[in-house]
Amino acid sequence: MATPCHCLAGAARSLRAAPALRGSPLRTSSAARRTFASQHSSSSGLPVRPKTQQSPCTLRKQQPGVQSRGWAWGEGQSRGFSKTAARHKLKTIEEVRARNKGGPFNLTAAVLFVSAGGAMYAYFTYEKERLARKRIAEQTKGMGKPKVGGWFDLMDQDGNKFCSDDMAGQYALVYFGFSHCPDICPDELDKMALMYDKVVEKCGKVLLPIMITCDPARDTPKVLKDYLQEFHPEMIGLTGDYEAIKQTCKAYRVYFSTPPTVKPGQDYLVDHSIYFYLMDPDGDFVEAIGRNFTADQAAKVITDHIKDWQGPLKKKKEW
Amino acid sequence: MGWLSWGSSDDSGPKKTSGGAFEAPTRTTRAKCYESRDAFFECLDRNNILDSIHTKGGRAASAKLCGDLDKDFEKNCAHSWVEYFKKQRVVNYQKEQTIKKLEAEGADVVAPQLPTRN
Repeated sequence: MATPCHCLAGAARSLRAAPALRGSPLRTSSAARRTFASQHSSSSGLPVRPKTQQSPCTLRKQQPGVQSRGWAWGEGQSRGFSKTAARHKLKTIEEVRARNKGGPFNLTAAVLFVSAGGAMYAYFTYEKERLARKRIAEQTKGMGKPKVGGWFDLMDQDGNKFCSDDMAGQYALVYFGFSHCPDICPDELDKMALMYDKVVEKCGKVLLPIMITCDPARDTPKVLKDYLQEFHPEMIGLTGDYEAIKQTCKAYRVYFSTPPTVKPGQDYLVDHSIYFYLMDPDGDFVEAIGRNFTADQAAKVITDHIKDWQGPLKKKKEW
Repeated sequence: MGWLSWGSSDDSGPKKTSGGAFEAPTRTTRAKCYESRDAFFECLDRNNILDSIHTKGGRAASAKLCGDLDKDFEKNCAHSWVEYFKKQRVVNYQKEQTIKKLEAEGADVVAPQLPTRN
């Protein structure tokens, strides 16, 4: 019963501060008491019957300051009502007339109405889009183990180790391809370079453009380095042994048809999925961007997701 | 197997590594390959040949009418690319026909983008 006592003590204290209004009509006191009682019960979660439960606490707390009985704190409440009413009272009949001359409609009201309406509309449209994006991000996040993406341990075009942890703290745009790809991959990589530049322009360097080869037999780090240099100097090309690439493709749900054993000098193509996978700084899959997106559309999708991101970007290394 | 014969004698077109495999293409070699491909396909269009790879007749006709351009095509592109583009030509045509047929029947086709030849 500590909480109810505390509340009542507060009421008693506020009463002490307003001794001048003690002569208010009795009528308001019962209404006020009802209000007070309902507030009280909602905050403590207990059904409170004012008459039975209030008395022990009130009496104890009120005694030092104010000598009053039961309905006295109704007076404390009624003070609030009378004061607000007085503030809006107009002094003369002219004032009232002047005020009501144009009726409730005037320029200020119209401007306020329109601008408030416009602002609300803009806000709700924005919120709606943001929530839709969030839903996509949340939907694809999965529970526990991510559905797309996951741990990998590969090598970048300079021969340095690059594993999935190196992507943490930044958004990553992951593309699977191979350097001997006839027409689709080069187009897509050109698009990726454009997308990357557009995103960097808007959000800074918070996106890693990564291309993972599906053809590890031919795409050595050296080959990838020369190949990607032509598209964008910032692009990261990843390769590894056949098993590592196979595991990575499996994690990203990428279909590929690389033969496990290739004779030297063999000329072949690799069938593979052609999506850009956008991964968030936690390493979770956000969205897949297909060929039907233009560089502008794709860049917008990515920047919007990046702007939605609440957590730290770029610096975050440990998780 | 004409693509093996030019090997080291001609330094245009895709180069080979010491192992005999094609080197990864660069932007220039790609552009060159696309160019000779388009020239060859243009010749096929002129002579009403669609399929220059699957059928015996098509192979013979294309060798007879566009033989030189075909050789250029083979020279400037890796062999796997030549095969890929020749097959893609047929597939693209079939796709276009199917879409046209469906549209003629009144269907609203929102096809995923076809691989474009550029």
